[in-house]
Amino acid sequence: MKLSRREFLQAGSAALIGLSLKGGRPIAGSFVNDNFQLGHQLRDRRQFAAPARTEKHPVVIVGGGIAGLSAAWRLSKSGFHNFVLLEMNDQPGGNSRWGENEITAYPWAAHYVPVPGPNAVYVRELFEELGVFNNGRWEERYLCFSPQERLFMYGRWQEGIEPGVALSAKDRDQFRRLEDQVKSYRATGAFTIPMQLGLSPQSRQLDQISFADWLRAQGIDSRVLTWYMNYCCRDDYGALAAETSAWAGIHYFASREPEEKGPLTWPEGNGWIVRRLLERVGRFVRSGQMVHHIAWEAKQWRVFAADTEYRADFVIFAAPTFLAPYLIEGFAPLQDFEYSPWLTANLTLDRLPESYGGDPTWDNVVMDSPTLGYVDATHQSLRTHIERTVWTFYWALAAGSAAQNRNLLLAEDWSYWKEAILHDLERVHPDIRDCISRIDIMRMGHAMVRPKPGAIFSAARERLRKLDGTLLFANSDLSGFSIFEEAQYRGVTAADKALRVLAGKPA
Amino acid sequence: MGILLFISVLLIAACGLIYELIAGTLASYLLGDSVLQFSTIIGSYLFAMGIGSAISRYIDRGLAYRFVWIELLLGIIGGFSSALLFLAFAYTQGFQLIMYVLVIVIGVLVGLEIPLLMRVIRGRYQFRDVIAHVLTFDYLGALGASLLFPILLVPRLGLVRSALLFGVINVIVALWSTFLFASQLAAARALRIACVVVLCGLATGLMYAKKINSAAEDNIYADEIIFSRDTRYQHIVLTRFKDDIRLFLSSHLQFSSRDEYRYHEALVHPGLSAIPAPRRVLVLGGGDGLAVREILKYPQVESVMLVDLDPEMTRLFSTNPMLTALNQKSFLSPRVHIINADAFPWVDASPDSFDFIVIDFPDPTNYSLGKLYTTAFYKAAAHHLSAQGLMVVQSTSPMFARDSFWCIAETVKQAGLRTYPYHVYVPSFGEWGFVLAGFREYEIPSSLPRGLRFISAEGLPALFQFPPDMAPLPMPANHLNDQVLVRAYDQDWKDISH
Repeated sequence: MKLSRREFLQAGSAALIGLSLKGGRPIAGSFVNDNFQLGHQLRDRRQFAAPARTEKHPVVIVGGGIAGLSAAWRLSKSGFHNFVLLEMNDQPGGNSRWGENEITAYPWAAHYVPVPGPNAVYVRELFEELGVFNNGRWEERYLCFSPQERLFMYGRWQEGIEPGVALSAKDRDQFRRLEDQVKSYRATGAFTIPMQLGLSPQSRQLDQISFADWLRAQGIDSRVLTWYMNYCCRDDYGALAAETSAWAGIHYFASREPEEKGPLTWPEGNGWIVRRLLERVGRFVRSGQMVHHIAWEAKQWRVFAADTEYRADFVIFAAPTFLAPYLIEGFAPLQDFEYSPWLTANLTLDRLPESYGGDPTWDNVVMDSPTLGYVDATHQSLRTHIERTVWTFYWALAAGSAAQNRNLLLAEDWSYWKEAILHDLERVHPDIRDCISRIDIMRMGHAMVRPKPGAIFSAARERLRKLDGTLLFANSDLSGFSIFEEAQYRGVTAADKALRVLAGKPA
Repeated sequence: MGILLFISVLLIAACGLIYELIAGTLASYLLGDSVLQFSTIIGSYLFAMGIGSAISRYIDRGLAYRFVWIELLLGIIGGFSSALLFLAFAYTQGFQLIMYVLVIVIGVLVGLEIPLLMRVIRGRYQFRDVIAHVLTFDYLGALGASLLFPILLVPRLGLVRSALLFGVINVIVALWSTFLFASQLAAARALRIACVVVLCGLATGLMYAKKINSAAEDNIYADEIIFSRDTRYQHIVLTRFKDDIRLFLSSHLQFSSRDEYRYHEALVHPGLSAIPAPRRVLVLGGGDGLAVREILKYPQVESVMLVDLDPEMTRLFSTNPMLTALNQKSFLSPRVHIINADAFPWVDASPDSFDFIVIDFPDPTNYSLGKLYTTAFYKAAAHHLSAQGLMVVQSTSPMFARDSFWCIAETVKQAGLRTYPYHVYVPSFGEWGFVLAGFREYEIPSSLPRGLRFISAEGLPALFQFPPDMAPLPMPANHLNDQVLVRAYDQDWKDISH
């Protein structure tokens, strides 16, 4: 680089005065964990090489997210060790993958588990095993520290995400009515986690309409309340209320007791659980092994992955279910499985912005932003003095068509998305550019299943949930929404089914 | 040319007096006893000027050249004198030695400048005019400086920047002289370059030097600020009024040297004296070494581990003579081991066990500090406590922050310990509380180390009695995920300040 005399003097005097030129700070980063190239090989029906060797196992698990790892955990804990788990990516964990830099570990997607209710027995069992639940108490270090959440509205931060500042009498009345509705739905027991245990035909009609329509029918039209409902749908389902089944919208609120002490979280989010599971079942996991074909032949499953053919009595299909028609020979096209595209980013901050405002908070949401805000990865640190941190930025591309948003994700380059993220954050932190040294971005075309109207009670789902036969579907998308507890439940019950048959007990 | 020449006499006279005033003021701030400080400094300064004048007769050649160099040296030494003295105070044992050396060097240089200047300009004026003009402007400059110093410089600029500003003036005179005496200078160009370099150095210093005490800060603190520093972790301020030295961390009073013995005796002795054979002691926080001073009164204690976040703090209290006089050089004892670390992760990682644990953190004013007052933290600390051991927690005021105090007591209890809250009166703090805790029944000790000024065996039982206005309140415990204490503390102090 050659400087003119004038530039040299300018730069010199700026440095002398201690001013940094605006925009002078470079921000590094790239796309990470891209795996759509692998997925597109399946979509485009690429020809794969013939297998070089064959292995035989009674059970093969396809997919190493929470569902697959939970199936492995169940098998292994039951003393059954003759199985393998095949994972497409180099890093297992699926939506609970995590990363780590010199500052902290951080999540790439799922970052918390609400304190599980009484029906989530497998979650409670796992958490007891992991020391998260001890002698009837939730371990304080794994519960989200104070202050948990905040919302930016009317130019300032308020505590908690549910809007509470400057509500009109009408807003308050509608909040109260909605709360009463939720309470009565909760009392029916039809909305619980795992959802399978509550599923009742009486609530089927709620699945026929959208959550937005249902809210309208209840006379709920408050702007802040509508915003909040849409935020919740985007956060848990990656969809707007208009594209969410009313059943799912109600389930979000009615499936859990309102409690103050949670959720459970870790610096690397649910990656912490993945790590603990891998300590237990890592030896069964073969990562970087993309399954490209599954066929039923001579009373056996033939599973083709990389250069190996696996023969199995049972296949636990824990990968996203939409892949089934591409992988499994003779599998009919699927209805009712739509997925939301997401973008997450991990931002390395060398310091908090001057405009941070208040004590460092775990989850930070901005009203009327199209994104979901950011979560601080060092929030669960026990240190009192934290200078550098990592923020995980969440963005469900909920508005508009999922297919178009998927194309947009692939078409635009890293600096487009970097700028989009910075513009969003600058609304509340005008000096954010001066604080960030790195932005890594993960693009997920099919991040989570979308519970559109009709999806919960869809015929295709009801068929696959039954776990009959020897091809056992286990992904959380069978529940119609993608949360840890559902994935774990389906993984465990699929493993139980295989165990029962293999032990010669009646299925 | 004449008037310019005599203005430079005025300026250098002002510079000389300013350096002297700065040294005197600094010494009075930092060491107290202003009469003694000013007298000895003025005395040694004038004496040094005499030495300078005497030396001047041995300088025969290159008078103008040497004059410019003296101005330059004065600019550098005088300009940075104040900053240098503050650093010497903070980080060396030899503040006074350094100060007198500095005063003498400046005095010698100032003593040289007027005789040399008079000889440089000797040829241009009548001798009696030279004497009259030079001395007139010399005294005028002194008058200006002595008025400017207390009215404008100290309040507006502060000591560090005032010195730097007058350093700049000295160098400007040097630069100016290279033109005034151009005919008498061989290497004028080289001298000018030197002047510009020194000028840049001083200007940079001026730009970066923060006022040692900003106007805003002066309003917060009642007394003179004698030390102020932003470390990575906090803002450390020491103030002094007569023999009362006070330490503030991020604006919160930590101790007053007049009554800190009450606080630190009360923090340490009720617990430590009750332990049969205390060998290993842990102090969390307490970077001023005052709790350690009390602990070292027990000869049976073999080691004291002190964990404090801020290395600047422990270094300051290890090296500064005024502060080591307060803590009786406790940090220099071979029994003491200092670790600079964040307390919670350190407690989690340490494998050691202790007979007595002192937890002396700043009050829970925010959620970060609040983590150190949770059931999770006390459980982790209790993990390091021997079976007969005791732990004491500074627990804010049961009078002004009654909810907070009883919340801390409840939190320690819910961490699985038996608690014994007590309180004392510390004039600069008011009524102050502590929570003593252990696995066993606590028995009030019948004997204490000799030489205590506040705690006595007869007086101890009364400390555990709480009058009705500080009596226990039912409070929930403070947890990492539900920091009720930070909210209660905030409310408690709001209630008394409004």
